[in-house]
Amino acid sequence: MIRFDNVSKRYESGLEALKRVNFELEAGEMAFLTGPSGAGKSTLLKLLMLMERPSSGTLLINGKNLNRLSRSSIPSYRRQIGVVFQNHQLLSDRTVFDNVALPLQILGYPISETGRRVRAALDGVGLLEKEANNPLTLSGGEQQRVGIARAVVHKPKILLADEPTGNLDPKLSTEIMSLFRRFQSVGVTVLIATHDINLINRLDHRIMYLEDGIMADNGVPYGGE
Amino acid sequence: MAGSNKANREAPSRGARDQKVKLSDRWRSYRAHHSSTLRTTLAKIFGEPIQTLLTVVVIAIALALPSAMFLVLHNVQQLGTGIESSQQMTVFVEKTATRSAIEQLSEDIEQLAHVASVTYISEEQALEEFKASSGFGSALQYLDKNPLPAVFLVQPKTTNTAEITHTQDLVAAIAALNAVEEVQIDMLWMQRLLTITEISQKLVLAIGIALGIGVLLVIGNTIRLAIQSRRDEIIVVKLVGGTDAYVRRPFLYTGLLLGLLGAMMASLMLVTCVVWLGRSVNALADLYQSQFHLVGPGFSGILTLWLIGASIGVMGAWVAVMQHLREIEPK
Repeated sequence: MIRFDNVSKRYESGLEALKRVNFELEAGEMAFLTGPSGAGKSTLLKLLMLMERPSSGTLLINGKNLNRLSRSSIPSYRRQIGVVFQNHQLLSDRTVFDNVALPLQILGYPISETGRRVRAALDGVGLLEKEANNPLTLSGGEQQRVGIARAVVHKPKILLADEPTGNLDPKLSTEIMSLFRRFQSVGVTVLIATHDINLINRLDHRIMYLEDGIMADNGVPYGGE
Repeated sequence: MAGSNKANREAPSRGARDQKVKLSDRWRSYRAHHSSTLRTTLAKIFGEPIQTLLTVVVIAIALALPSAMFLVLHNVQQLGTGIESSQQMTVFVEKTATRSAIEQLSEDIEQLAHVASVTYISEEQALEEFKASSGFGSALQYLDKNPLPAVFLVQPKTTNTAEITHTQDLVAAIAALNAVEEVQIDMLWMQRLLTITEISQKLVLAIGIALGIGVLLVIGNTIRLAIQSRRDEIIVVKLVGGTDAYVRRPFLYTGLLLGLLGAMMASLMLVTCVVWLGRSVNALADLYQSQFHLVGPGFSGILTLWLIGASIGVMGAWVAVMQHLREIEPK
């Protein structure tokens, strides 16, 4: 589903964020990407979101080479992915419902079905009763769950998350992680960048370790893949 | 209506299985986004009434000014058409001329080049006309003989400034004929008026273009500020796969509405001025016994102004959007 072939990323400032990174994530697999701050986790996710382009190497999604994607086809590519951000990226000028409905509006869903899907997504994260609230009135954990609802409302095949538990206490973090596992169980490929080693060590999932831009451990047992 | 209800009923069962969105649904939702964008844009515009009013007033003044000048010019031209008909020259026949001499003169004038038509007004007809139009009818009966001469009204073929020299030649030719007392035509005045109108037209066009560019910049700047204040929203929309057109749409609508509102206010200003001035102008025209009356912008004029305002609005927004939207990319 996701495949990195010798991917390097050098920023204009000269910073080499990723150095010849190789890994492959199967469809329906869930993996954690960890490592110290500045190791390149965010850069890797940005490449997957086409917020940045690799300096060299190839990035294949579902067999398609992302390097060949023109600027004008970025929107349609992004619609196939769900993303959860550390800072939620919720819009405070509209309700929780309208925030979650945004991807569906962009995809052009009819209003009736938009309502049905948004409520299903909010129900999935246990926030159905907050649909009319402004995101600012919610707690940090609730905001993050709204962000997750928005990321999955259009049923993407790939779900990316950048430090989704960054500002949350351990109990809330475990809740969020179990949400992600639920999506994986229905066939979504999930990639979560986090530095919360304690949390992910308790979960039985593949862990990839990035350090200084190098994939020190791609989480596959020796002899595998 | 019935069609959309049917589609809505069918949608859930299909949507649950299939992530793809049907083309007809997409088209419907495209239109729905247009109308919802229009609604939210209107709400945003009227949600900041003072800011909007300031912008709209600036746009309105910039649009009303050249429109008013154009209107003044249009009215002067209307005054000019009255004068064009007086391009006709009046040939006064000598009082002593015999009937046969007058007939001969009529033939002679008709045979001259550049003569469109010749109308003969006898002494008696002239007197009747004078009685009817001047209001001195009762005073005239105290005169023992008709003081008015017979007159030929000669309409030359010329209609524009370039051919005015022909008219001058014609005047000279007629004046040289027998039994002609005098030929009258106020040509110089006419020539000046036509030239001045031409210059003024160009001037108004230039001022109009300059102020149009001003409106473009005002709207562009307003949109630029709107883009900056909605930066977060643009980033999120781009992140979840909104196309450039989707991101652009609310701003183009804002430009369209600002331009249109400005044009509406400008037309209100114009109509108010015309009504306000109209009474005095008509009173003045009456004093000069002129048929002239102030012409307003008219329905088509107002519609044109709205169209111009709306197009400038969209163009201004487009320029701003093209400049700034690409800068805002999720980082």
